[in-house]
Amino acid sequence: MKKYLSILLVALMGCIDPFEVEVPEGPQYLTVEGYITNLPKAHEVRITRGDTYGSVFEGLVRPVREATVVIRDDQGNVTFLQEDLDNRGSYFTPPNYQAVVGRSYTLQIQLIDGRVYTSLPERVGAPTEIQNVSYQSVEIPVEGEVNPDSGVQLLVDIDDPADENNFYFWRNSDATYVLLTRPDLFVTPPPERRPAPKDCCFICWRNEPAPGNQSIFIANDDNFNGLSTQLPAAFIPDNGLRFADTYRIDFSQISISQEAFRFLRLVKQQSEISGSVFDPPPARITGNMISLDDPDEIVLGYFMAGGETTERVYIKKSELDFVQPEARITDDCRVVEGAMDNPPLDWNP
Amino acid sequence: MKKLILACLILLSQLALAQTEVKREVIGRDVGQLNGIKISARVIDEITGEALVGATVSLPETDEVFVSDNNGTFELVLERAEYNLVFRYVGYEEVQYPITAVGDGRILVKMIQEDFQLEDVVIFGRDPDKNIRSTDMGAVTLSMNTLKELPPFLGEVDIIQSMATLPGVTQVGEASAGLNVRGGGADQNLIQFAGAPVYNPTHLFGLFTSFNPDFVNQVTLYKSVIPARFGGRGSSILDITPKAGSVDKWGGDLMLSNYSGKLSLNGPLVKNKVSVRGGIRGSYINWFLNSLSNPDLKNSQASFYDANLIISAPVSDNNEFTYSFYTSYDDFGFASDTTISWRNTSHSLQWKSQLTPKINLEALGYYSQYDYSIFNEAGSTNDFDLNSGVKDIGGKLFLQYAFSETNRITIGGDYKQVEIQPGELIPTSGPESGILPQKVQDEFGTEAGVHFQHEFELGEKVGVSYGLRYDTYQYLGPRTVREYAPNQPITDGSAIGETTYGDGDQITTYDGLGPRASLRYSFNKSTSVKLGYNKMYQFIHLISNTATIAPTDVWKLSDTFIEPQIVDQYSLGFYKNFKGNIFETSVEVYYKDQENVVEYKDGANLILQNHIETELVPAQGQAYGVELYVKKNLGRLTGWVSYTYSRSLRRVITPYEEEIINDGEWFASNFDKPHVLTLIGNYKVSTNTSISATFGYSTGRPVTFPEAKFDFSGNNLAYFNLRNEERIPDFHRLDMSVNFKLKGNGRFFDGDWTFAILNVYGRKNPFSLFFVDEAGAPPQALRLAILGVPLPSLSYALKF
Repeated sequence: MKKYLSILLVALMGCIDPFEVEVPEGPQYLTVEGYITNLPKAHEVRITRGDTYGSVFEGLVRPVREATVVIRDDQGNVTFLQEDLDNRGSYFTPPNYQAVVGRSYTLQIQLIDGRVYTSLPERVGAPTEIQNVSYQSVEIPVEGEVNPDSGVQLLVDIDDPADENNFYFWRNSDATYVLLTRPDLFVTPPPERRPAPKDCCFICWRNEPAPGNQSIFIANDDNFNGLSTQLPAAFIPDNGLRFADTYRIDFSQISISQEAFRFLRLVKQQSEISGSVFDPPPARITGNMISLDDPDEIVLGYFMAGGETTERVYIKKSELDFVQPEARITDDCRVVEGAMDNPPLDWNP
Repeated sequence: MKKLILACLILLSQLALAQTEVKREVIGRDVGQLNGIKISARVIDEITGEALVGATVSLPETDEVFVSDNNGTFELVLERAEYNLVFRYVGYEEVQYPITAVGDGRILVKMIQEDFQLEDVVIFGRDPDKNIRSTDMGAVTLSMNTLKELPPFLGEVDIIQSMATLPGVTQVGEASAGLNVRGGGADQNLIQFAGAPVYNPTHLFGLFTSFNPDFVNQVTLYKSVIPARFGGRGSSILDITPKAGSVDKWGGDLMLSNYSGKLSLNGPLVKNKVSVRGGIRGSYINWFLNSLSNPDLKNSQASFYDANLIISAPVSDNNEFTYSFYTSYDDFGFASDTTISWRNTSHSLQWKSQLTPKINLEALGYYSQYDYSIFNEAGSTNDFDLNSGVKDIGGKLFLQYAFSETNRITIGGDYKQVEIQPGELIPTSGPESGILPQKVQDEFGTEAGVHFQHEFELGEKVGVSYGLRYDTYQYLGPRTVREYAPNQPITDGSAIGETTYGDGDQITTYDGLGPRASLRYSFNKSTSVKLGYNKMYQFIHLISNTATIAPTDVWKLSDTFIEPQIVDQYSLGFYKNFKGNIFETSVEVYYKDQENVVEYKDGANLILQNHIETELVPAQGQAYGVELYVKKNLGRLTGWVSYTYSRSLRRVITPYEEEIINDGEWFASNFDKPHVLTLIGNYKVSTNTSISATFGYSTGRPVTFPEAKFDFSGNNLAYFNLRNEERIPDFHRLDMSVNFKLKGNGRFFDGDWTFAILNVYGRKNPFSLFFVDEAGAPPQALRLAILGVPLPSLSYALKF
């Protein structure tokens, strides 16, 4: 709704344009993003350092290496996390680690300079079953463009438990899709530019990490406590490749705490600021991490513990009302990053 | 374009010059009559056509003065000669009428009210040294005719935008509905039309004011010492009085502009006894939206209207009843599926009576309702209506006893019931709806006040006004009220129980004494100094986390957790007029202390919030400033310059660390604009052409800049720490208009053409700055400008 308000006001009289401001150099705050759930797997805690806002260098959010990271439950059990040496700053629990519904967990971090940080305790809520998953294509008109943007929205049906206040968070995991290319139209690179058709391969299965820069999908049951309801759980932008045939995505629904919900709501609110006159004022996004050495030190991010349900869904082009025109790759599909000429073993559309 | 306007102006001014040579009208058929020539002269109001009873005509040649009768007629018996008749009527422009009387005949003289007088426009009423003599501080009365001299906003006089040109009065930005008076919030102004409060007097999210100027008699803003008869709001009172119709004959107003149109009629329901004035104004902005190429906008629609009806019955010389009905409606539909609408409705009935020459009585009853809704009609199972509203029913009684011209007391009382519906969510997709109906508890309160004020003068030099108002407020059931654990911040987590109150049970009560005092000392006829103090109580709060009055706002009554706002104001003013009141100057300084204003916790969730106290933190406010003002009242060029330096600050005092904002230090409020400069000029090119211009400059309003960025869940996020530490770029804008008054020879087709350009040099004044992080681009600041381009309007107004 806000988006439309802003579009309207802008088109009515106003305009939005970039504006030079000088943001003073800010501190580089320690940032934590961690999730553990009741499902057995290697759970990830990522530790980074932020940077001055408005810094022109992308990717200056840097991983924090060689920290000692432990998770402690309310019965005194301690689990050490290992840093992934290929992906510095990411720390993983042992592969079969699972949190227990009803218990509380805290995350503790010690940096190599000796400073110690901890989270406030997070209690693991009971997961809620997903009754059904459906999907639909969604078109988003773009100002000044004839063709709209589009994507696929995932919807979940759940029976919300009536006896408690529930907070939901949906996350995407990796996805795999059928990648169609045209090796028969291959042209040698410049300066030659000579047609050189290849025989193989037209069809691959490409694995991609969770589609990036997604909005936050969360819900609380104030509006539907105890009801069966359908809620949007994900949106996957159509880039002209993903929905050319079949797209498979794994996603999970996590029951989170009220505090975690509040944190994610602030994240969502900020990521959806559109510059309309109805925008809420900027909010300070504070999480549940604190410094044990200096109570005034600002630590960003959140350590969440929740009850998780996972679902796998195959999205078929034939079921979609609208897809983007096919983006044509004129080469062997195997040259595309993450593509293989055989389907994954568990491919079962 | 400029050249064309200039050419027109030069041409018109020359035409005007040509008309100034004296023409002497020959009256009567010349049959050689030498004396006993009977001439019947009738004087009428040029605009309304009403006869002017009690007007005078003087004949300097014979040293005689005559007074017009009940029909506005004089019967003169003259000798054959040339005469220079001079017609005069209080409040009207003097008319010189040279004649040569040669035989029996008639003349018709049309007189114009002084405010309409074109050579010498008097801005701000008719009492030239009122600013010096009166004991009122910071009260500004603008007649509609004065307002009409300002550049119109989108084709029309705009009361609220005009008020924002006065010193000490600002607006957050170009699309904001509220006024900020001397550092007070938008909710601290009582805007009343015909005595009934109006909660959202705007169209199109603040781009238009929803009062039709044809129904406004005058507008008075009290920003400093507020008379004791007003209460309930902390910073100012904007009192708008309705304009009655003519008891004499039918007439009307028609206006068409490229944005909106209006039509009104007025005249006698019962000749000389009961008059009526009624009309409607509406927009046709939809064609504009539909002509846009953007598919979302193409299917959007915006429409608004407002309507008024005023019935006035001067049943006797000493008694008058006035009924006023007012409604305004806005409807804003988005292509998506969401419609936002709001409506104000008010009825009021007023009885004014002069019981004896010394005692005046005023009684008023009113009903006022403000409703606002958001409809979602996507056709899915998640369709809903979200309705909110405020309802006021009240009455006022006011008695004035005048010991003498300069010694008066007033006493009175008022009472009102307020009912607030903070929000009700109604699923509209039938039994399979995926949404639960939800209703935030309605709120009920009563406010009552008694007041007394005494105004008197001690000789020529000293004027004193003092008064006292006692306000009492009750917060009533039915309601379920939470209890929170002591010594903990109020959050959902600290709730420990609930108490249920029955219908009409008193939940909490507040009261307070609000003294008002002002003292005036005149050094001479053109110089005075005034001192003032007042204390105001306010039992209602506007809970909003946007910068403008929006349909997502929540009005909230004071309750156990949110205490009444209390505002103390101290002011000192120095006033001097020059050159026989042609120039008015003033310097005013003030200091204001505000208790129990609210600030919001980070990311506060205000919509459908049953426990809004968990989202708020009480704050203190402080405002101070100095206002310099120079005004030229008379002459071809009139207008004013005002400069204000002021601050409006907030501070949160809380024992709980998680509620602290900006380390508990004073910080700028959302509408803190230290430097404000306004220049307004109106130049009469000729009797029927004027040009006016308004220039405004102000410091950019405070904004929060991010201190750092961080990553979470694939989003690049900004970390904001200290609120309102930085500022958006300064605001400045020039508006200009040209007005041609066409005075037809007949009664019909006297019309005004007004061509105006807002934002002449197309400055993109930022309404806000915001920070986005788009994938693949460095994070950047963007600005939103509301009026990014020059915006022309053309309107034609016709009186008939």
